[in-house]
Amino acid sequence: MSPRSERSFCVSFGFCLLTAWFAAVNGWRLTVLVLGAAAVHELGHWSVLKALGARVLGLRISALGAVLAVDSRGLSYGKELAVTLAGPAANLLSAVVLAGAGMETAAGVHIVLSAFNLLPIRPLDGGRALHLAASWLLGPAAGEAAARWIGAVTAAGLAAGLYWVMVKSGGSLWLLPAAVGALCAAGRECFGK
Amino acid sequence: MTSRQSGRRIASISAERRRRKTGKRSGQTAGRREERPRPREKRQLLQLVICSAIFVLLVAAKLVLPEPMARVNTKLSRAMEQNMDVQAVFSAVGRAVSGKSGLDQTADEVYQAVFHPQKDEEAVQAAAQITASRAEGAIQVLRGYRQDASQDRTEQARQTENAASESGTAEVSTLAYVLYSDQNLPEGVSLEQAILDFDYCTPVSGELSSGFGYRDHPIEGEERFHYGVDLAADTGTEVRCFADGTVTAVGESSSYGKYCMVAHEGGYATLYAHCSRITVSSGRAVRRGEKIAEVGETGFATGPHLHFELQRDGVYLNPIYYVSAQ
Repeated sequence: MSPRSERSFCVSFGFCLLTAWFAAVNGWRLTVLVLGAAAVHELGHWSVLKALGARVLGLRISALGAVLAVDSRGLSYGKELAVTLAGPAANLLSAVVLAGAGMETAAGVHIVLSAFNLLPIRPLDGGRALHLAASWLLGPAAGEAAARWIGAVTAAGLAAGLYWVMVKSGGSLWLLPAAVGALCAAGRECFGK
Repeated sequence: MTSRQSGRRIASISAERRRRKTGKRSGQTAGRREERPRPREKRQLLQLVICSAIFVLLVAAKLVLPEPMARVNTKLSRAMEQNMDVQAVFSAVGRAVSGKSGLDQTADEVYQAVFHPQKDEEAVQAAAQITASRAEGAIQVLRGYRQDASQDRTEQARQTENAASESGTAEVSTLAYVLYSDQNLPEGVSLEQAILDFDYCTPVSGELSSGFGYRDHPIEGEERFHYGVDLAADTGTEVRCFADGTVTAVGESSSYGKYCMVAHEGGYATLYAHCSRITVSSGRAVRRGEKIAEVGETGFATGPHLHFELQRDGVYLNPIYYVSAQ
């Protein structure tokens, strides 16, 4: 029963590739801004986790984003909700500060990252927060159902919207992965275990 | 059994290492573990198989059907060239947060940044068409010249030299006409010299480093339409507003760098790009000659200069008629 105490930190090859590509296309300055915003986001989660006394087991960074592995036993719904929302909140706070300092592009990076993470689709913070909040208020079964249906509908709507805009604008192919990702998320919510 | 064995063989080094770490307890358990590929290993094997299958399929398709594949390739690369301007998206959102621009404007700017960088694309396509039509036009001109010349020869033999040189100049002027006639222009461009019924001034006194019209792009090397004039000046030189008006947009994009737009009376608007600093904010009323920015080389630029555009109701005009360049 003893929890595995090994801490793991792993960065996937896909992430390095994606970062290199982004840097090649958009320049190092923007890459640093985006990575900085991601770091602030994870730091937000991590600091609240630490404050609540939970154990952080590891950090996995892949092409799809960073995931903190947490030993979440003993965290109440409320506490876990606070941890989940801490990331986007940290980004929003930095955005306000940066906008006040006149660094608008950096503020924009934080806002976009935070808005994306607040989408109510499950692997993202917004979806998890929804699940936790609904479970807290209505019970675990209702929470699961709410997260599942709201997530599926949002993801399907998002995929359809992206596809529509893509067709209408004459095909900016860069949105295709996002649309496919949203569709996968919707499928997972509808038909997953 | 064979699939299990191959699964084990292909299993990554990290899995091997992990096994060494955890499997030190007893030989029996370690042995049992090695017999059974874990879900992770299975997944990796599946990924490898799918990737190699896609690779083999694509190579086979390229070998068997070279022409359709080439067509697909060009289609795909054209679609992929429509890159979105990530920086412009971030900058627009950031300005909305700092309250410098409204939500409508932000949404519009984001849409433009994600989908509209097609202006370049259109320009390239237009340029390709123009090269074709220009060649055609030039051939027609040459034909006409040959006819003229033969007529000259038969009818006025003594003035041959004179006539030849005359039709030579005629050819040059017609060619100039072919190069700059309206039908060869990209959409939304007019070469008309409009008469402005308001006072205006030159935004930056500098050397004209690039004029309005087709040019070889200094960075991409292709022929592109240049929608404004470039006035070279040192970084930090003050940019004065062209005429009285209202600042309609202040922004930053990867191509224009830091830019601002000012709307004037009569549907005219001016754009000032590649600035190092914009000193006015959106929505402010500005006077002719007032400092609105400083020259820089932000965005797609090879040196400090002001890229100045003039539009009337969304149609690009040649600003050179209204600025005095050194």
